[in-house]
Amino acid sequence: MAGQSNPQLSIFTAAEVEFLAEDEQIDIVPNVRMDTLHMICGDYGPFRPQIPVRVPLWLAIALKKRSKCRIQPPDWMSVEKLTQVLEDEREAPREFQPLPFHYVEISRLLFDHARDDITDPYLVRSLLEDIRDVRFHKVESGLETLSGKTHAVKLKNLAAMEVNIVRPFIVRALQCFYKHDNEDLIKQAANELDSQPVASDRVPRRTLRPR
Amino acid sequence: MSSYYDLEDLLAEEEPVSVLFRVAADGVGILDPSSEDNNVEQGAKVDLPLWLAQDLFQRQAAFINLPSYFNQRVRKEMQADPGCVDIRSRCPYFYGVGCKLVPLTNDATLGSFLLYTLRGRYKDILCKSHSAAVSSTPKVMQILSREETILFQAGRESMTAFKKWRMEGTRMERAAVLGKKRKPQGEL
Repeated sequence: MAGQSNPQLSIFTAAEVEFLAEDEQIDIVPNVRMDTLHMICGDYGPFRPQIPVRVPLWLAIALKKRSKCRIQPPDWMSVEKLTQVLEDEREAPREFQPLPFHYVEISRLLFDHARDDITDPYLVRSLLEDIRDVRFHKVESGLETLSGKTHAVKLKNLAAMEVNIVRPFIVRALQCFYKHDNEDLIKQAANELDSQPVASDRVPRRTLRPR
Repeated sequence: MSSYYDLEDLLAEEEPVSVLFRVAADGVGILDPSSEDNNVEQGAKVDLPLWLAQDLFQRQAAFINLPSYFNQRVRKEMQADPGCVDIRSRCPYFYGVGCKLVPLTNDATLGSFLLYTLRGRYKDILCKSHSAAVSSTPKVMQILSREETILFQAGRESMTAFKKWRMEGTRMERAAVLGKKRKPQGEL
């Protein structure tokens, strides 16, 4: 499925990433009585009123649209947790805080379809936007350190959507640097021009963010 | 390094370079606009596309002169501020031509000059590609070479696609004050 929309770059569109995020599990509180649903991906239910049950996000949204349930926002989407994450994010300029891999998409879907189930939606939304901005800025400042000797980039705790945004750029930048840091191109210059070893000590990979 | 099916690579080989014929060539006067008979004389200076110059060089029929966009003046300019140099108007396939010329000329610094240029301009491309306005064509694109434009567009398009996804549907509410035009100060 990767790159259906753009075979050359082999990236997902935002909508495709959103589709993948719908497989994440989430708790709902049904308000109807319903037997177990037998799906290809597993059995969900039985559904009893007021008894929380864990289902994939797509099922939760489908039930929510029919007003058959209330979605319980995940723990990390509370104001306290997000405030904490934002603070940590700002204090640690070199690493990313652990958030769910699909946090951008899940929060987006919940805001779309289950806004009334979220406590303090305005604050939660602006916190999430802030966190995303801070993290993206970190990615950018990390990318500035790319140079000829970078052959791979390590990004820990980066979310699906964030990776997806920078993927085409990183891939092309690394390709360019790889091409121009070729030993055939630089070799002749190294021995007569400058004394520093240009292409001899190749570092196999550079850690963009330390663990 | 280059792929047979790479269009950009093919187009880069179309760029003209000036060559100096080491031998006289009969019957190819079409290459040299100043030749009166149908021959190219020994020592004639002719502009040829890179693919032809490459072949002539390998057969030791011609020397290749380094194009003007790799001369000392440009290199000085590049040292001063890589981000401001207008590469596009000099040669849209700056890097491609440069890489191909490295084995064909005896200028040992060409390869490292290309890497230096790329490194210096990369940071600019990075910042501007992710923050550029969605609708208008940014000014910076006018000075990027073809290779840099591809890099720039990759960053710009994925960011635009994300912003579009974020804004679509009922997702973002627009504050009422944002749509209004600001009144000129004098009228208040």
